Order: sequence, then C-alpha cells, then structure tokens
Amino acid sequence: MGGVTKEQVEASLTSKLNPVHLEVIDTSGGCGASFAVEIVSEQFEGKRLLERHRIVNAALEEEMKEIHALSIKKAQTPQQWKPTPPQDSSVTTTTPSTDA
Amino acid sequence: MALRSVKTPTLTPPAGVIVSSSIINNPQSLRFVSASLAVRSNLRLKPSPSAARFRCSASSSSLTPQLRDTLEKLVNSEKVVLFMKGTRDFPMCGFSNTVVQILKSLNVPFEDVNILENEMVRQGLKEYSSWPTFPQLYIDGEFFGGCDITLEAFQSGELQEVVERAMCS
Repeated sequence: MGGVTKEQVEASLTSKLNPVHLEVIDTSGGCGASFAVEIVSEQFEGKRLLERHRIVNAALEEEMKEIHALSIKKAQTPQQWKPTPPQDSSVTTTTPSTDA
Repeated sequence: MALRSVKTPTLTPPAGVIVSSSIINNPQSLRFVSASLAVRSNLRLKPSPSAARFRCSASSSSLTPQLRDTLEKLVNSEKVVLFMKGTRDFPMCGFSNTVVQILKSLNVPFEDVNILENEMVRQGLKEYSSWPTFPQLYIDGEFFGGCDITLEAFQSGELQEVVERAMCS
C-alpha cells in the first residue's frame, strides 16, 4: 500500500494552489491515511466554502485514493486570514469585506 | 457481438434493477445477475469477481446512466438525506457521527443511507457528487457538503437557514 506522507500532501497543495499559508497535520498516527489541512490561497477568492473544498479535493486527487479522511479545517482567502487572530476565528464567513 | 442474439426475454431485468445490458449478454455474468436480483430486497449488491472484471474493462467510471437515475431518486427521497458509514443509531465513523449529531440537534427529519451496505451506491455517489469521501449530506436534492462544511455551516447558522428553507419548500 504505502500511505501518503505529509510532505506529499504539502507538495501537491503548494504546487497547485500556491498557498500563502499551509498547515498539514498527519492525524493518522503514522499510517498516512488521515490528514487535517489549513490552507490560505488567492484561488479561493469569490468561491463558496463547498467550491473551496472541491478545489482542495481536486488538487489531492491522486493522494485521495490512499487517504481515508481529509479534514479541511480552514480554506480561506488571504484577506480573510489573519495570522494572529485576536478573537476566536472558528466561525468564518465568506462575506467579502468592503471596508476601504 | 454474436452473443447478442442469445438474449431471451426471460433475461430482461425488471424495471429499476441496475444491470448493464452488456452483462446480460455475457453468459458468464448470468450468475451475478440472478444473485443480485435475489439479494436486491435488502439492497446488498455484491458483484462476483467476473462482474468486477467486466466493469473495469468496460469503463473506468462506476456511474452508469441507470445508477445515476437511482442515485437521483435516492438523494431526493427526503428533504434531508445523509449518506454515511453506519446508521444514525450506530455510526461507524466519527465524521458520520458528527453530522448525525448536528442533524439530531437541529431536530430535522432525515433519511440515513448506510453506504457500507451498498458498494455500488458508495462508488457511484463519489462520482455523482464529485466528492471523494463520506459522509455526504444532501439537502433538497442538492449536495451540501461533507463533515467539515456541515460543521462550519452549523456553527455559523447557515445550516439552520438552509434546512428551514428546504423544509418549507
């Protein structure tokens, strides 16, 4: 079988989505079948959450054959993403900010 | 193929049964056809090795027009349909369980479909939804999302809105 490595997941996402922030966590306990992902990319601009997840799934099409569980914790645009959020950021909205 | 002429009326499957006409025309697969007809009542379709081989050589896609039809009926069988591993009472996966708990807490009536019991639905639905994993939540016949999306929508209040709109439609 040979599971997928964290590095493979990172490499595919980096080359296909050019993220400004990417965090991949192997949640499988070593067998490489389960990952959690946080990703921030320009390519999510104007896309609903479902579409963003589809983009990530598509970027990992090859890896998904071996991955049993992919949890996308965060799929945001650079504008939505705040590196040091002062308050709880678990609830995100896709409403674009119009503040000048 | 010469074998086509062998086809007899007695082999015509009843409406609603998913069997490719080419399987009917393949005498080797006849045992598979009768076997799946026999177990159809509990929705357990286990293809025999010869049928599996046939499917692979015929096409890389597991989504036949008949299966697409069946899935379309299935996703529309209730306003809210959850395709999951296990059942609402015995979820077999943490992600499926999460969505069950969300739907239960919203007090929304929903249909649960155990994809572990039907390999055809399991493979076909991945393609039908363009979504590689389970659970898969359908609202008003439309794919809503997997576990992460459902959880996020639940936390933001969007899920409640979508469900309410669906129940009123």
